[in-house]
Amino acid sequence: MRRSIQILSLLLFSILFIFATYQLPDWLFADLYLRLDPLLNLNAIFAAREIIPRALWALLTIGVTLLIGRFFCGYICPMGVSIDLLDLFFFRKKKRENPLRFESTLRKTKYFLFIFFISAAVVGLSLAFLFDPMAFLTRFYTFFIYPVVTTLINLFLDLLRPLFHQLGWISFSHLHFPQPVFYMTAITLLLFGGIILLNRWVPRFWCRYLCPLGALLSLISPLGLLKRRVSEECNRCMRCRKACPMGAIGENPIETSRAECIQCGTCSKVCPKEAVSFPISFSIGGEYSKVELSRRGFFYSLSGGLIAGFLALQTPFRLRRGKLQLIRPPGAIPEDEFLRTCIRCGECMKSCLTNTLQPSLWESGLSGLWTPKMDLRLAPCDQNCNVCGKVCPTQAIRSLSLEEKNHAKVGTAILRKELCLVWAQNKICLICDEICPYNAIVFRPVEGYRRPVVIASKCNGCGYCEQRCPVSGESAIVVVPHGEIRLKEGSYQKEAKKLRLEFKPDPGDDKFILEEEGFKIEKDQKESKPIPKTKSQPQKPKGFL
Amino acid sequence: MNPHQITRRDFLKATAIVTASLSGVGRLSISQAKEEYDLVVISGEPLPATQKAIEALGGISRFVKKGDRVILKPNMSFARTPEVGATTHPLVVATVAKACIEAGAKQVLVLDHTLQRPELCLERTGIKEACKGLSGVHVLTIQERKFFKEVKIPKGKVLDRVEVIQDVLENSVLINLPVAKSHSATGVSLGIKGLMGLIWDRESFHSRYNINQALADLATVIRPRLTILDATRALTSGGPGGPGEVRKLNLIIAGVDPVAVDSYGVSIVPWYGQNFKGHQVEHLLMAHQRGLGRIDIDQLKILKEKA
Repeated sequence: MRRSIQILSLLLFSILFIFATYQLPDWLFADLYLRLDPLLNLNAIFAAREIIPRALWALLTIGVTLLIGRFFCGYICPMGVSIDLLDLFFFRKKKRENPLRFESTLRKTKYFLFIFFISAAVVGLSLAFLFDPMAFLTRFYTFFIYPVVTTLINLFLDLLRPLFHQLGWISFSHLHFPQPVFYMTAITLLLFGGIILLNRWVPRFWCRYLCPLGALLSLISPLGLLKRRVSEECNRCMRCRKACPMGAIGENPIETSRAECIQCGTCSKVCPKEAVSFPISFSIGGEYSKVELSRRGFFYSLSGGLIAGFLALQTPFRLRRGKLQLIRPPGAIPEDEFLRTCIRCGECMKSCLTNTLQPSLWESGLSGLWTPKMDLRLAPCDQNCNVCGKVCPTQAIRSLSLEEKNHAKVGTAILRKELCLVWAQNKICLICDEICPYNAIVFRPVEGYRRPVVIASKCNGCGYCEQRCPVSGESAIVVVPHGEIRLKEGSYQKEAKKLRLEFKPDPGDDKFILEEEGFKIEKDQKESKPIPKTKSQPQKPKGFL
Repeated sequence: MNPHQITRRDFLKATAIVTASLSGVGRLSISQAKEEYDLVVISGEPLPATQKAIEALGGISRFVKKGDRVILKPNMSFARTPEVGATTHPLVVATVAKACIEAGAKQVLVLDHTLQRPELCLERTGIKEACKGLSGVHVLTIQERKFFKEVKIPKGKVLDRVEVIQDVLENSVLINLPVAKSHSATGVSLGIKGLMGLIWDRESFHSRYNINQALADLATVIRPRLTILDATRALTSGGPGGPGEVRKLNLIIAGVDPVAVDSYGVSIVPWYGQNFKGHQVEHLLMAHQRGLGRIDIDQLKILKEKA
């Protein structure tokens, strides 16, 4: 029963994950699990210092926990499911000491982490994502599972391709899934692997000792109605105590730490006397249920969080924030708020159609770890897609209509003349002009040659030019954050209009080639300074004789 | 929803008409005493004009035999809706696909190696939707190198080999379904330029080779059995991706000679505001000089009709 619920939950998590693509229907909340996570949302609300509507979904989890207890960890949490399943797979036969020697100290760690993260959030530093299971697992799925599974599926398809070919199954013989690629795949795997490895010593090591979400839930779970009760039949065989994956049963097996009990029912299953049940009970507490935090530990973690928060916010990164070369996804709220609100779940990067969204490592310091940036040399941002905002659980990237999103300028393309084939080498190249969806790149006659220039007011920074530029290595045309529009609220279209920007795919002035000015400019230039023998302006469009 | 998008109902209606009229086409081709034309130029809406063009050429069964594998090469390289003029009209593609199936084709593959994200191209161009109900018709984008195979170009001047989509090489009937549009590097992009959608490394045509010479080389090894040029709209500037000036010409131009079809296509509308003839388009002239087809449209027997 519990196992099936767990597996269903992991399945739902995975399905929602798969559905997070540009075709995501509006009624489907691909970010459901992230919305339900009270720690992430509490963190975001404190850090951003405002109520985030989608974050209120987490009240559901809190409400049900108040009603039932810490069921979330035992039944719903996909991280818990993953840990349980992999535990079965790897460590079933391991003899594990239960409890550990430093049990009581370790137990407190998760509370200290929780306090640490929340106090850092109060100062404005969002850090809970480091240890939050939902953000962690979503990142693991995005940066590891998704690329690996795609590769495996493609390998499998390659293997069967000759067969499909023989059978004439065209849709299969030509099937291939675009391979997503991400930075930080290896780091994510190492971290996840570490969490699983900890099970070698204690089952659910992570959930018992480290998970700050578990800490939050365990603080309120003693209020839950369903509580473990041991009847008089108990013969003190201690099997329940040994079997409890959370180590929630005391030396006297009648005692239960309500903060730790996840109501998985393992104890009642192993009890030879069938003495354990989970009836409704209004009693609160019991000595063993107390969450014991030493005053010193509480103080340390609180001040640790505050200091970390202050320190991380007072770095050169903060001063340089507006001047950094980071391109944020369209609809990202202003940088300060963005860093406070983003919970680094990676859902935007998973759903990104073109794979341009990539995690930042240290480009904007600790406070920018794992935040999404656009890698436009890798891939552009497509004007037909607005999914990153749709799936953002805290709306650090606003959910925008396509029209709005295309007005959320992320930066401006600049031509680096020293690299450009046309400017520097007089070669014929017009790829950027050709690919630009907004005709923001035009050729103007300069010094006897037609040279590409960017019309900044028509460029919304989509990056097609940067990605396609045929110059090896760094692109000769790059998008810089200059001119980006970052709005906390209100219409991007209105803002763009105010700034006299126009991102309309209009025909532009492709007839330049036939204009006479080209010649005039050439003559003028020649008078002022001699130019080495230049080609005459073509009178006809390229390709015609 | 944009008004130019085809609803499934529209499409079903349209296909019903195709089916009905195709039975007529079949009969026509048998009793074909008509003189053979080098080119047929039919004016009308995409669907009836395409039907009529096929009919006037002697029916699709002249090109597609029972059990054949057919490759249709429309232009669906850009994620643009049909009215932008950068991609082949979905009804032209669906009409030809349907006709091929009716003629007994085993499979019809609608293929392109797209420039933009494939899933968006299939969706936005409307081509996937238009071909949805047709059994045996598969609309695919080929984006992976493993689906390409190298062929030698014995007559090549700048290219001596090129990687082409495998299916095109495997004994199948290739029908080219280009759209009429301007092109910033080659002047126009019609049938021969459209062949570039069948190769792996299109980048090198722009960066490494003289694109016009490379296109002529390519045309010596990829020889479509039939070219049906969709000039129902022509993107006369801003090509190949658009946006640009779109002229509604309502023309379908079809023929077996790829150079002749393109050459006629050059003459139907001013490009970038200027009138041109086929031999003024560098890559067409080169293809003609290689003996790939006739470029002087005045010498051709042309059927002009209304659908």
